[in-house]
Amino acid sequence: MSNQGMNTGLIGRRAGSALIFLFLSIGTVLTLFPIYMGLLNSVKTQSEMLTSILSFPTDFQFANYSSAFIKINFMKSLWNTIQIAAVGLVGIIVFGSLAGYKLSRTKGKLSALLFGLFIFSTLIPFHSLMITLVKVTQELHIQGSIYGLGLIYIGLGVSLAIFLYHGFVKSIPNDLDEAAVIDGCGEFKLFYSVIVPLLHPVTATIAILNLLWIWNDFLLPLLILTDSDQYTLLLSTNMLFGEYSNDWSNILASLVLAMLPIITFYLFLQKYILNGIADGAVKG
Amino acid sequence: MRLTKNVKQVIILLAFVFPAILFYFVFVLAPTFGGVWYSLTNWNGLNPTYNLVGFSNYIEALTDDPYFLDSIWFTLKYVIFMVVLANFIAILLAVLIETQKRGKVWFRTIFFMPNMISLIIGGFMWMFIFTKVLPYIAENTIFHFLDQSWIGDTRFSFYTILILSLWSGVGYLMVIYIAALQGVPQQMKEAAAIDGANGIQTFLNVTLPMIYPALTIGLFVTLNNSFKVFEAVYALTGGGPGRATQVIALNIYEEAFMMSSRYGYASAKAMILFMIVFIVTLIQLWIMKRREVEA
Repeated sequence: MSNQGMNTGLIGRRAGSALIFLFLSIGTVLTLFPIYMGLLNSVKTQSEMLTSILSFPTDFQFANYSSAFIKINFMKSLWNTIQIAAVGLVGIIVFGSLAGYKLSRTKGKLSALLFGLFIFSTLIPFHSLMITLVKVTQELHIQGSIYGLGLIYIGLGVSLAIFLYHGFVKSIPNDLDEAAVIDGCGEFKLFYSVIVPLLHPVTATIAILNLLWIWNDFLLPLLILTDSDQYTLLLSTNMLFGEYSNDWSNILASLVLAMLPIITFYLFLQKYILNGIADGAVKG
Repeated sequence: MRLTKNVKQVIILLAFVFPAILFYFVFVLAPTFGGVWYSLTNWNGLNPTYNLVGFSNYIEALTDDPYFLDSIWFTLKYVIFMVVLANFIAILLAVLIETQKRGKVWFRTIFFMPNMISLIIGGFMWMFIFTKVLPYIAENTIFHFLDQSWIGDTRFSFYTILILSLWSGVGYLMVIYIAALQGVPQQMKEAAAIDGANGIQTFLNVTLPMIYPALTIGLFVTLNNSFKVFEAVYALTGGGPGRATQVIALNIYEEAFMMSSRYGYASAKAMILFMIVFIVTLIQLWIMKRREVEA
């Protein structure tokens, strides 16, 4: 009796598990469908695409890619994006860790006030400051400069970094600082040689979160960059889309090219990225 | 002696914080407070002189600008759908994926992947699906109902925007919920199962209360991001047809940079968006506080 009950329970659980697997698989297909369709049709001629959009290409047209490669100025756009992200990331990490560490270690009203000032920015939507931000960049003569754009990202991103460093430093015992000071270590040397090595886990999280944000940000570059020579991958793709709005084989090839770097990055580092996302969200 | 030590401490603090403060002040605080100031003027970007006009920009935006009011309602509708659907789907996926053994990593990797792709690129890909692939399927299979003007018809374009946003955003929330589920002790679920609870009862009475903190984060993230929706709409419909799918952020963008260059007026709209997000955040913090006290 009890044996039979256990058997049907087991069968039920197996069937349930299979159903769940099926459900998740359908979800996977739906999730990948647009990417798959994009890939598939990016190697077809325009006419083959119109007559058989779902089927496998009969003849691979890599000409779409070579033409898209030139039209979105791929190497230049990629290099621009990398430089912007590099300036932003280095600034956010260096200035964020300096400030986050010291604000966390210093007690008192001034420290709390400054920390609160940084946290305040999480309430401000980007769209609420963008109009005056454009004016500021004109005044500073950094409109139309990719390095200038990198500097803006430092200002916009440093608060979250400070918040995450601030929380992380609390878990590092203060005795370490004191011991280093007794050994005659100066403030910056202490920070650089004792604290920074301990910050690596949270630095990785901050680097991943900010890289993804800057890499995929669209509106700020659209407002700041004026010359197509400075365009990021996204801006170049957007421009191509505007110019050739019905030439789908070219557009799809350029979309695949534009997402290639980030998808490669993801597939290699997905474990770290997913951990970084979870950490950043839970602590932020 | 004591005083000098304090002064020294303050100087060191400022030295560490100065670079961050500098960039933060120039690119965040100054534009924000500048925006508050300009929202009270008739500055139009082209003309170097401008005058204070009090709250007339705010009054015009809230009483005499049907497109802006429509964009607020449209955004509100979007926010409600997103908060409910994105979190529901994300929790469902997270719970189901956690039941799997071998496929776990694969499912997680794939469901998160769209989040890595910019909404601009994802939006153009979905545009291809909606304007080319679905009509093709409708024509050549039995799914004739798929032949709709998904982008051009206002009855559908709201849902196409929603589909794109969910496709892109659910993976992010799912990762948060998976992390939370992994923190739920296995023994608690087993104990509930021994007491005769079925899967759904276990979920509602044991698992769900354990992941409330994650749920709070998930709701917070979707609420904040949904009010600021821009790229999904920009890429798919551009706010059209006409201005039927325009959201607040797009309305501000167009007012400032595309249509009239009425920077002062657009700044007032930007401050209204700020106010909305601010109030929603305060309400949320208040609810969280109350729940903490109860718990």
